[in-house]
Amino acid sequence: MADRDLAIRVEHLSKRFRIPLDRSATLKHRLAHWRSASRYRTLEALLDVSFEVRAGEFLGIIGHNGSGKSTLLKILSRIYRPDAGVVAIEGKVSPFLELGVGFNPELTARENIYLSGSILGLNRPELHRLFDEIIGFAGLEQFVDHKLKNFSSGMEVRLAFSLAIQAHAEILLMDEVLAVGDAAFQEKCFDIFNRYKREGRTVVLVTHGLGAVTTYCDRALLLDHGRLVADGDAADVTSQYRRAIGMAADGSRPNAEIERWGARDVVVTGIRMLDERGVEDVNPATGGFVRIELGYRIQNDTIADFTCVLWLMRGDGLMVSEATLPVSQYAQVGESQRGAGGTIRFDIPQLSLLEGTYSVDVELQGRRDQAPYDHLKNAVHFRVIDRRARQGVIEPGGAWSVVPAEQPVSWPDQFAATPGTGQDERPDRTRH
Amino acid sequence: MPADADARLPGATAGAASQLDTFRHYRHLTVELAISQFKLRYTGSVLGYFWSLLKPAMIFAIMYFIFVDLFKINDGTQFYGMQVLLGIVVWTFFAECTSSAMQAIASNGGLIRKAYFPRSILVIAASLSALFTFVINLLIVFVIAVALHQIDISLRIIVVLPLLLELYLLALGISLFLAALFVQYHDVSHLWEVLMQLLFYASGVMFSLTYVLQRLHLALEVGSTKPQPPHLLWIVQVMAANPIMQNIEDLRHALLTPQAPWTELVVTGHLAAVHQYAALDVPWEVPLPFLAVLLVVTFGALTFRFRARSFAENL
Repeated sequence: MADRDLAIRVEHLSKRFRIPLDRSATLKHRLAHWRSASRYRTLEALLDVSFEVRAGEFLGIIGHNGSGKSTLLKILSRIYRPDAGVVAIEGKVSPFLELGVGFNPELTARENIYLSGSILGLNRPELHRLFDEIIGFAGLEQFVDHKLKNFSSGMEVRLAFSLAIQAHAEILLMDEVLAVGDAAFQEKCFDIFNRYKREGRTVVLVTHGLGAVTTYCDRALLLDHGRLVADGDAADVTSQYRRAIGMAADGSRPNAEIERWGARDVVVTGIRMLDERGVEDVNPATGGFVRIELGYRIQNDTIADFTCVLWLMRGDGLMVSEATLPVSQYAQVGESQRGAGGTIRFDIPQLSLLEGTYSVDVELQGRRDQAPYDHLKNAVHFRVIDRRARQGVIEPGGAWSVVPAEQPVSWPDQFAATPGTGQDERPDRTRH
Repeated sequence: MPADADARLPGATAGAASQLDTFRHYRHLTVELAISQFKLRYTGSVLGYFWSLLKPAMIFAIMYFIFVDLFKINDGTQFYGMQVLLGIVVWTFFAECTSSAMQAIASNGGLIRKAYFPRSILVIAASLSALFTFVINLLIVFVIAVALHQIDISLRIIVVLPLLLELYLLALGISLFLAALFVQYHDVSHLWEVLMQLLFYASGVMFSLTYVLQRLHLALEVGSTKPQPPHLLWIVQVMAANPIMQNIEDLRHALLTPQAPWTELVVTGHLAAVHQYAALDVPWEVPLPFLAVLLVVTFGALTFRFRARSFAENL
């Protein structure tokens, strides 16, 4: 009874995936390899995770790719069954993890509202009543009876969004909402998060956006290889995560031969770094255009979609940036595509890195289990040249301005009390 | 912990009462899914929904020409053409329901990985959209039969409803089983195609059981003592136990003409007569089709339920 305001309680939760090494999708294969049919690689997606979420709390879950964040969310939403442990939930959970679940491009906006709306748990009379509001909020009054496939991605997201906010769940589970949509859309997302917060609804957000976590979450969990390694104040946990990323590599990466591992269901056939003319260039300039181009080939019929992850690593091993692309969303990687392949491009319009040596790590991984298909460490080495030879790590793109004061500055001199160490310490800079 | 009393445990198995609740709760979603699947099935075609009417009609024309005109398959009972048409409409439902519902889970992977709801409603929705087409087709057959005076309506017609329920349950049970297996083994779709070919002939779509008996020289008069080749008798017995055969026969009897043989639902009647030839005085095979339906539904539902746990992981 003491835990009356508890929304979610998770105790000793474990989940493992058994990934057959010889992904046999046909009976023939299974029969031909019946002796080895029990060969599995076990992936411990979650190991003995325990935590509680109070009603009205805004919880962020962070961690690197494959740390078990999404698995945890899927267990909370009952999509996956846990192997061990207890999950107790008090209140109505949103049954969806992403916006626009159930949208079908061949149906009209109206039809999609009724279909997707009923997946969100709304019934027909409710949707009937809310219909004008949903369409109005999305600003799609003129396109009610147009098929979704003719919508721009922005229109589709607006529709998904105005529908999602009607779901009357007390506990909202969200996976990487911030990965989709432009800045304006992301802002809209946060408006809604704030609204949920005011309404006292519980939100659990899985994201890579550490900024979002510190801004909106009361608390954060940090997962690492399926283990809960931190649970506490959002700012503390995110800075711990930042430190962990930096420190893990601090033990310096000796310079760098390609290391490769993975199940090879999808392979990287080539990777190169190009400039704006499409010419290979491993000495990009700060502020210049950089394209990382990656060829892939699908080696296994059963792969329907996969994820491409790129890491930009600094020479001393610091992870500068991580970028993730779910490939099937962009290219139609359908079933039975053995031998099919393509090119993935990652464009950086203005490279913000300052001078230094860097490398690119790349991984093609399973969309579901994030099992590595092909991981290439140190796939590309490059040296950034800064023509202006500035010091530091990044070019923040800041702009200077000086406002000539007609009157003396009205605020007090903050540094008046700071004792200087000596007048002539930096003579070259103090002179004019 | 006392707070657990009202907690929803995802791993827990739901009792019968709460399962009923669940279905009430997801009724809307089931209907919406069925409607959209029905719409999607005919998008991109000029004739759209009319294909669901045209297809059985065209198949009927071909089959009638081959079987009745060419091979003279006709047991001499009333309204033979209508009986064949009815058989084809029933068969079309069975074939389309099972083959479309089989894909219901595998083709909705995105939905299953991203949203929670009882997985079975995807299969139920697919079967409902097939059922909807079937009911309309059945009504059209009825109207045609009345217009051509190829029907002998009587009180027998009330049996049609339980027969349709039986047929739907059978198709649903098989669909659940196939859909659950199809997630991991796409082989079942090929296997099912072949099996359906066999079933088509074992279900008397184009002919009645009477005709088979005639061809096998099992005279229908009670008391005949002609010796029967055992393997032929075995074929007849298997066909008589086939619920689709039973269903088509009984629908013909209930809807079109009392001349069509039927199982008289449980106890005595035509199929019992078959056994008198086989010197089996116990009509134990008569309820066999109904038992088969029950078995298929139970087995299908259990298989589905067991496998549904890991759909999200296996897709």
